[in-house]
Amino acid sequence: MDSKPIITKETKNRISVDYEGKPSLKERILRKLKASHTWVKVLINIFRFILMLGVSYVILFPFVSKIAGSFMSITDVVDATVSLIPNNPTLDIYKYLIVDNHYFAALGNTVLLSLITALIQTFVSCLIGYGLAKFKFKLNKTIFVLVVVVMLIPHTALEQAMIMYFSQFDLIVPLSFDKALPGIVETITGGRIDLKDTFAPYIIMSLGGLAFKNGLYIYLMRQFFKGVPDELEESAYVDGSGTFRTFLQIILPLSVPMMITVFLFSFSWQWTDVFYSDIFFYEPGISTAPTLLPDIYEQVPIHLENAFKEHSGYSMYTMVINNTAGIMIILPLVIIYLFCQRYLVQGIERSGLVG
Amino acid sequence: MSNDLKIKRRRGSLEKRRARAGYLFVLPFILGILLIYLPILIDSVWFSFSDFATYEETIMTEYGEQTVNRITTVGVGFKYYAEAFGDQNFYTALLSSVQQMLFEVPAVIIFSLFIAVVLNQKMLGRAAFRAIFFVPVIIATGVMAEINAQDVMQDAAQEGAEYGAGENAGNNIISMLDVQALFANMQVGTELVSYVVDLVNNIYNIINYSGVQMLIFLAGLQSISPSIYEACQIEGATGWETFWKVTFPMISPMILVNAVYTVIDAFTRTDSPATEMAREAGGGLGGAMSWIYFLIVALILALVGAIASSFVFYQRRD
Repeated sequence: MDSKPIITKETKNRISVDYEGKPSLKERILRKLKASHTWVKVLINIFRFILMLGVSYVILFPFVSKIAGSFMSITDVVDATVSLIPNNPTLDIYKYLIVDNHYFAALGNTVLLSLITALIQTFVSCLIGYGLAKFKFKLNKTIFVLVVVVMLIPHTALEQAMIMYFSQFDLIVPLSFDKALPGIVETITGGRIDLKDTFAPYIIMSLGGLAFKNGLYIYLMRQFFKGVPDELEESAYVDGSGTFRTFLQIILPLSVPMMITVFLFSFSWQWTDVFYSDIFFYEPGISTAPTLLPDIYEQVPIHLENAFKEHSGYSMYTMVINNTAGIMIILPLVIIYLFCQRYLVQGIERSGLVG
Repeated sequence: MSNDLKIKRRRGSLEKRRARAGYLFVLPFILGILLIYLPILIDSVWFSFSDFATYEETIMTEYGEQTVNRITTVGVGFKYYAEAFGDQNFYTALLSSVQQMLFEVPAVIIFSLFIAVVLNQKMLGRAAFRAIFFVPVIIATGVMAEINAQDVMQDAAQEGAEYGAGENAGNNIISMLDVQALFANMQVGTELVSYVVDLVNNIYNIINYSGVQMLIFLAGLQSISPSIYEACQIEGATGWETFWKVTFPMISPMILVNAVYTVIDAFTRTDSPATEMAREAGGGLGGAMSWIYFLIVALILALVGAIASSFVFYQRRD
């Protein structure tokens, strides 16, 4: 018996077909309910959903408790019956963090620094990644190994040397502070430059592709460009476009999704960084460096300190203040992330990294 | 004729020109290495072999003769290395750092691969879960990591006070005793049991450290051609078989990358015991400790790389 298909509905992309002897909808549902594999599937789905929910809870709960704490007054902090919802909600902590700790000034500086370094790092990683992925030259492999090695040597080991290097900046010469050998900058200008307390060390490190985790960015860009078919560039060359024009006009627009991923990483890691501001800036007392956002942390606002210093719950209250400072540090970052998170995953997905 | 030849030689072959363009693209990195990185690197190695000393120097300024203090270094040979090797605490710190790393690498890789595979499937609320899972990689770094660490410490202290000093598992998600009771009849080694317990209790850290790895795995999973999965379905392979026979080999290069990245990440974090000890010691001794630690990690990395690359499968792409 051959059953003729009957077209019931047809649109541009979909077609639904009926055939003779097809069981009724009710019967089909019953059959499906009886089949064991349906139940296994449902169980797996439920299990998976609960698991994901659990992990999400682990990630998000610390933020929830911090946010809840930030609205508490000192009496709520001491009160053992208050866990998440404060009895006397107040915005005091926010207010004094903004006023006493100069929140907005710090925010402006951090935005500036993060933007500069992230843009430079993204572009430089893009250049280096493209060079490593698409061109054959003798040192290609060596340079890639160097990229990994630079990422491997922790900057904590180089801390002291970096402090010395940037406080008496000169190119090339090792042990330049020792005056054993004259440096390039010194012979030209007659002296060394103190680059500490400025953004210059960040910019110099970024320009060389040597800043924090730049090896990862270079790797991501390299793998991305390896997935771009050569034919694309070849056709551009045939049409008379040079290497650099092809890079700027064809490759760069193509790599925007990946660049957004790299940008997001470098931007947010610079945003919360405290390690490099320790190295590149002098100590708080003598420093003339612009204050950055992380500086508002671990510094109790003067008004709150004067008001509650004698209170028995002061040490717990400082913890709450520190957590609130943390929330205020990452709040702008969270907003940016909410807008960009789509690109973070999509970009890396569409690119299809190759091994 | 001779003119033609001259032009050719000057411009070089296509290959040579491409190579030159390649060098131009990586020029920022080469310059960075030579002008910035190498001096810093040499300095910091030299610091671990030397002492700082100050001396006075008289210089002529517009206000007349002035004496300024200058810093110089005096080589002391392997003094600080010997000192580091003689320090029992350093051994302990080194051991616990390496242990932490060996614990973290498999945990992070298994966890991130698992999550990436799940997030790659179609499911309810996938977009929301994806957004949440990458929150830590963006936010829980630097100063936030510090704040979180402090929070955990405070919680532990509080709970410790509440539950009394005897019960130190107050802040743990599962208690060691429960799991031991559960595993007692299953005849598995105690090492495995304690590993699982550690895993569950450190889940917050593991999630925090797995962000980049998840992203890389997700990208790798996306690059596997759907036609392979279709073929599997037609041949009647189960999901389990498909994972081990297709997904796992295809993703294995990413496992290598992530293994290397996780080792580097664990090593360069500022809060590992050995790094903390080196930073506290400072000066030549701190430098010596850092370099010893670095050499050990480089060795581990070479080992991990060698093991991982022996089972990595590379699909031929032509």
